[in-house]
Amino acid sequence: MKSFLTLLKNELKLNIRNMNMVIFAVIMPLVVLLILGLLNGTRPAVDGVEYTFMEQSLGALCTISICAGGLMGLPLVVSEYRERKILKRFQVTPVSPIKLLVVELCIYMIYCLVSMITLIPAAMIFWKVKIHGSWLAFLGSWLLTMISTLSIGMMVGGVAKNSKSASVIACLLYFPMLIFSGTTLPFEVMPEAIQKIVSVFPMTQGIQLMKATFLGLSVDNIKLPVIAMVAVTILCTGISIKYFKWE
Amino acid sequence: MEEVIKVDQLSKTYGNLLAVDNISLSVKCGMAFGLLGANGAGKSTTMECILGTKQADKGRVSILGYNPQKDRRKLFQKVGVQFQECDYQPEIKVSELCEETACLYKTPADWRELCSQFGIGSKIKNAVKSLSGGERQKLFIVLALIPNPEIVFLDELTTGLDAKARRDVWKILLALKEKGLTIFLTSHFMDEVEVLCDEICILKKGKVVFYGTVEESKVVSGSEKFEDAYLILSGEEVDEK
Repeated sequence: MKSFLTLLKNELKLNIRNMNMVIFAVIMPLVVLLILGLLNGTRPAVDGVEYTFMEQSLGALCTISICAGGLMGLPLVVSEYRERKILKRFQVTPVSPIKLLVVELCIYMIYCLVSMITLIPAAMIFWKVKIHGSWLAFLGSWLLTMISTLSIGMMVGGVAKNSKSASVIACLLYFPMLIFSGTTLPFEVMPEAIQKIVSVFPMTQGIQLMKATFLGLSVDNIKLPVIAMVAVTILCTGISIKYFKWE
Repeated sequence: MEEVIKVDQLSKTYGNLLAVDNISLSVKCGMAFGLLGANGAGKSTTMECILGTKQADKGRVSILGYNPQKDRRKLFQKVGVQFQECDYQPEIKVSELCEETACLYKTPADWRELCSQFGIGSKIKNAVKSLSGGERQKLFIVLALIPNPEIVFLDELTTGLDAKARRDVWKILLALKEKGLTIFLTSHFMDEVEVLCDEICILKKGKVVFYGTVEESKVVSGSEKFEDAYLILSGEEVDEK
């Protein structure tokens, strides 16, 4: 446990020193919040509903950091550590690969948490956002979305041949999810055809779930997104542990 | 004396190239063993197959009674390693790298003391990338000694060090050897091998061409100087013969 905490502390320091994630996972969501807030203020999402546009968007804003961490940060750091033979140095120490992966995973979970706990109070203070559903259900959906997305990232970092191919795969996952799954552009403004296509992203499912739990809307089929995200998590985590390579 | 490293008929091929060809060797507790040979003779591959970081095609290896691949986590509590090519996290500081390494072991050595012993005590707060080549090399030897190891593997340990620094490193290693540390090293510097090693093994194209003490190598090759003996035995000096 002590070694886990020391590794976590040092790796987190290194990650913050690098600044990429601070910008993409913490500052960028706040910037998007600010822009959406200035454009929409406290007006309702659509005429006749009780919740505001900002309330509808908050769940999605919380996933910007999940996207950045899971689909950019995590796969790149794992593949870079392998390519630079940093993992090889760890290979000749008593550390277990799972411990190393969990340390990196925790770092990105911390970013996601920081992003959420800066976004929600800011939205509450400046745009009078309040929750219509349940905090517990919202946090549960947030956790599920985060874990499933991070597990995808861990798998990509684990199986990519080198950091170049990891970065290509990461981009192919990151940008479509960031743009089309409802993270930055609201899902509702997209044409129906695109809505159908992007429904296959686990991220889209997660955002829909977060939105519904935040707004207190009834979810027609709650089992499907939950099962999909749990399955993705188990599959990706399994693959990344089974095919873990030091070098 | 107890044999702490036992290697039996180890072989490894890369495609068509036989990099390690049926090598057997053993190292007794408290000894310094040198693996020598020209670039590409198979030294690093042999060392990596022994450590289990590369999968050998054939052969058996035991270190301190452990199978390096199966008992990796137990073995590396007691064994320190310095690789020829290894890297560090881009922005990491000396203190962070040492701390991160020390936290992995049950009974680590005091890394601050090791750093000052190796003359990099004043650089603890610096970024690793800002160190000079020699300082970095010393740091990697420090990292290999942090586990308080029973055996240390050093691949080209003093490459990049100046004459004074090399002698300082030898002195520290000899003192640790006095206390019972077993050393397995590869080197291109014959003066270093002569000072440090009790036994040597010279490789040529993956095969053992000499196995014995430094003195024996001089007798076998009929030369007075060890460097000449090495060149003759490793077949580097074909022109003159």
